[in-house]
This record gives sequence, C-alpha cells and structure tokens, in this order.
Amino acid sequence: MEISADIHLTRHPDFVLDVEMTVQPQGITALYGSSGSGKSTLLRLLAGLERGTRKDRIEITSGKTVWQSEQIFVPPERRGIGFVFQQQQLFPHLSVQGNLDFALSRQHTEQNLEVNQVYDWLNLHSLLDKEISQLSGGEAQRVAIARVLLNGAKCIFMDEPLGSIDSPSRSRILPYLDRLHRNLQIPMVYVSHSYEEITYLADHLFVLDNGKITSQGSMLELCSSIELNSGEGDAAAVVIQCTVAKHDLDYRLSELDFEGANIFVNAEQYQVGDSLRVRIPAKDVSITTTRPGNSSILNILEVQIVSFEENSGPSVLVRLRRNKQFVLARITKKSLNLLDLQPGQTVYAQIKSVALLMESIDD
Amino acid sequence: MIDPDLVSLTITLKLAAVTTFILFLIGTPLAWWLARTRHVAGFLVEPLVALPIVLPPTVLGFYLLILFSPNSGFGKAWASLTGSTLAFTFEGLVIGSVIYSLPFYVQPLQVAFSGVKQDLLDAAATLGAGPVDRFINIVAPVCRSGFVVAGTLAFAHTVGEFGIVLMIGGNISGETRVLSIALFDHVETLEYGRAHLMAAGLLVFSFTLLLIVYTLNRWQTGRSSSLGSGS
Repeated sequence: MEISADIHLTRHPDFVLDVEMTVQPQGITALYGSSGSGKSTLLRLLAGLERGTRKDRIEITSGKTVWQSEQIFVPPERRGIGFVFQQQQLFPHLSVQGNLDFALSRQHTEQNLEVNQVYDWLNLHSLLDKEISQLSGGEAQRVAIARVLLNGAKCIFMDEPLGSIDSPSRSRILPYLDRLHRNLQIPMVYVSHSYEEITYLADHLFVLDNGKITSQGSMLELCSSIELNSGEGDAAAVVIQCTVAKHDLDYRLSELDFEGANIFVNAEQYQVGDSLRVRIPAKDVSITTTRPGNSSILNILEVQIVSFEENSGPSVLVRLRRNKQFVLARITKKSLNLLDLQPGQTVYAQIKSVALLMESIDD
Repeated sequence: MIDPDLVSLTITLKLAAVTTFILFLIGTPLAWWLARTRHVAGFLVEPLVALPIVLPPTVLGFYLLILFSPNSGFGKAWASLTGSTLAFTFEGLVIGSVIYSLPFYVQPLQVAFSGVKQDLLDAAATLGAGPVDRFINIVAPVCRSGFVVAGTLAFAHTVGEFGIVLMIGGNISGETRVLSIALFDHVETLEYGRAHLMAAGLLVFSFTLLLIVYTLNRWQTGRSSSLGSGS
C-alpha cells in the first residue's frame, strides 16, 4: 500500500501545513518534529480522522484509490488502516479479550496473521482475561497494538505510541515494536518527537518543522547529516546497521559486519545473520590519519571524509563515509587544522564506545 | 367494578411508559446531536429543550391546547387523519408529556454522551466500525447508566405531571385521569384516607426512583474517574 498526500491546510490562528509526500510501501516511515510541527495533524489527515475545511486543498491517494480530494472523502473505517493512539483508547466496557474480539470481528482484510502468533509477539497471554482498568500503561499499549494487528490493517499509523508511558516501560515496549518491524510486511507510519525512538525504529524519515518537510530520505543516511546533529551537542550520534557475523564466546563479544569492516560488541542474545542497529555517539569517535598499531580500542574503521560542520565553536562535526553508511566524529578545530584534514581523504575512525540499540525481550 | 384509583394508576403508568419510549426514540439522537454538534443551531436548540423546566406547565398546556384545537393547522391535519381531536385524549396527553419531560431525558444523556472521548470513537472507526456500529457497540454501553438515569427521570417526571394534564387532558376517568389529578379530586371531595394513600404511594415511588438515579450517578462518576487516571 503506497500512500501519497498533497496537503495545504490552514489552521487558526496562523498555522499552515504544506506537505507533499509519499509513504514508502515497506518498513517504518517516521514523521519527526517538535510539538506544533504538524506531524500529528498530518498523520490524522492521512487516516481520515481530520478532513480540513472547504478552503484547504487536501489530496490523498492509496495506490489507485482516492481517499480524499475535493469531491471524495473516504471515512477512516473504510481506509483499511490501523491507528495506535498516544492514550491507548481501549474500550473501557470490554475486557482485554473483548477489545481484541472487537477488532477480529471487523477485519479490514482476510487475516493472514495467526492470533496466537500476535499474542506471542506482544506477550499477551497472561493479560487476556484482565479488565482494561487493571492494565499498566505499557501493557495497555501492547493490547492496543495487538488490536490493530488482529484487525488486518494494510498500513499501521502510530501517533506517539510511547508518549504516555513512563520511561522504564518505554524501553520495554520498544523491543516489541522492533520485533514487529522484523516480522511484519505491513508498512507503518510512526509519529514521534523523540529522536531516540526514531533511530531505534525508522527506515525512512520525514523531518517536519512548522508545517513543512525540511528533510526526507533514508533514516541511516539522514541521521548522519550534519544539519540534524549540529544543534545536539554531546547528543550528536549516528545509527548504523550491521549484521551479526559470529560470536566469540570466550570473550563474550560478537563480531558484526559493517560495510565489510568488523565491529565488536556484546550481542550474544542475537543470532548469526540477524541485522541490528548500533548507535555511535560522535563524541566517542576520534580520527587518525594512519592506522593505529597498538591500541586498546577494538573498533577502528577505514573511512573517507565527506564534509565538516561550519561553525564558530571550538569543536566541529566531521561526517565520515564507509560505502553506503556514515559515521560522525566530533573533534576539536585545532586537531582538524593540525592533521590538515580534507574532504575525500581516507582516514581511520577510532570508536571508543558502541551501544546496541535494543535489548532483547525476555519471554 | 374496578376501583377508579386503580384505573388512574394504570393510565399513569401507561402514559409514563409510552412517553419514556417515545423519548428514547427521539430524545436519544437529539441528545447525541447536542453533545457533538458545533453548529450554531445547537445554541438555540439547547435552551429550547430546557424550556419546560422553568416554564409554568399551564403556559405549555395553554399553547398545546391552542395547537390541538381543530382551528389550528396541526389540529385540523390530525383530525382529518384520525377522525378525532387531540385535546382531552390519551394521545394528546402523550404529546404534552413528551414535550414536558424532554429536558429530563435529554440533559442527563447529553452529559453522558459528552463524556465519550472523540479519540475512543476514532479508535473504533479505524478498527472498521461505521457510525451506527460505533453508537451501538461503544457509545451505548459506555453510557449505559446515563440511559438508565435519563429514562428513570423522564418516567418519574411524567408520573408527577399535573398542570399540563389539567389544561389539555381534563379529568376523564379511564382516559385522561392520572394519579395526580385523582389525588386532587380526593382532596377536593375531602376523601383524606384515599388522598393519604395516594400521596404516600407517589412519595415512596419518587424517592425510590431518585435513590436509584443518584446511586447510579455516584457509581458512574467513581468509575469514570478511575478510568481517567488509568489511561
């Protein structure tokens, strides 16, 4: 299901949403921006939960079907989509099982997911008989996600699904979302103001600011852009995608393949062949012009300098490329000049710390 | 021969039941519309619905009487359709009662409907539930106690109606003589024993109904606040 939108919507007093976009038919597309950037409004328009006024120009199509135009408006119940809300919106007069049955009896498409498979993925078996008021925020959100999956949606929209959940439970929900991402063919549109969540999950990224899309593209490429990171200070970081190559049980280290190079990290809970995301903070990456010989640092990558940050501060971000992926390094301006670094030059990035993005689920 | 007071009781209960049923049919969509609309007409209709609360029943009765008269367009149309007039008939009483008890049905239900969050309905819609499906399977069960309160108040209020009945129904035994009128008659004719019985009966009945209504109200607010903190 490929969703395209061309939207020009005016809201009182002076907010304008002006967006032209196409949601990729695979993977997770993230709409990222601060509050008030229009990302939730955009998602609700795509879902048909808002429709604008006669003065707005809204054209939304899904494949060859027109969802909204000047003459046509397809209501949300006939768009075949699923929607996960920030506040879970479980039906309070039904039990957990009742909420799931509500979805099962109104499926948008022929169900191709096993009910028990969905319960397994979201660890729901022990919750089925509970009342909605007995659930914690994280449990309720897992039920809400299951409700959407069992409903047979062709595309799943999530509007800040972790926004109402306290942060310990949040880090427990993320692996579930990641698990769905790995197992499902259904595309998702994920709205969030949390850069961290986006880096965990997204494949494609639209950055919204004040009602406009300011950048878009593949998550792995965009997350290394100097523009997106230059305001982040010490939080500047990239996410890279690796594949588990082998485990070294003696040292409890795993060897990950990153664009033909090796990265060592503790990832013994993953299987060889699993693809996973690794976060590298820019402040933990340093640059040498020759391959360091005797270093305690294990992770050294041969990379090419792409560009530098232009700023007046004492340190700069350097964007480094290895084949199709990128790494950022934060170094002092003094080092930049002493080493006489130039775009296109081949250098070595020493990576002090590497963090796996996701713990696995214990169930 | 049947006790005329029992006849009055039957008429009263029948009137209240029919009125409540008609209010269920027309008051429910009206309450839903008032709870949801942002249309300017809502500002006009809301006080109109509430009017019978403050208006003396005799005012309402007077205008209904004029409306029912065969000289009015409505009265004429009714007469040509049914062959009888509405004044001093049970049907006329039903129309009067529906208008008179309308706010007692619509207002509590409107409050209950306003408490249903739009997001909850949006969730149902994205799960594939159309408008009627959403109303029957989400709104109605969530507002169940609102329906009970509205129905009970409308029923009780119709049972207690007096002024309007006197104006448009008169005092015809077996047709329009309801309990409150019969009680008035007993007092007029100094039959205090029967008057006591009837008055006490109505008192206990009304108190019991209100007890149910307020208990339900408390139970619902308790429940909805615990739901609110849970979400």
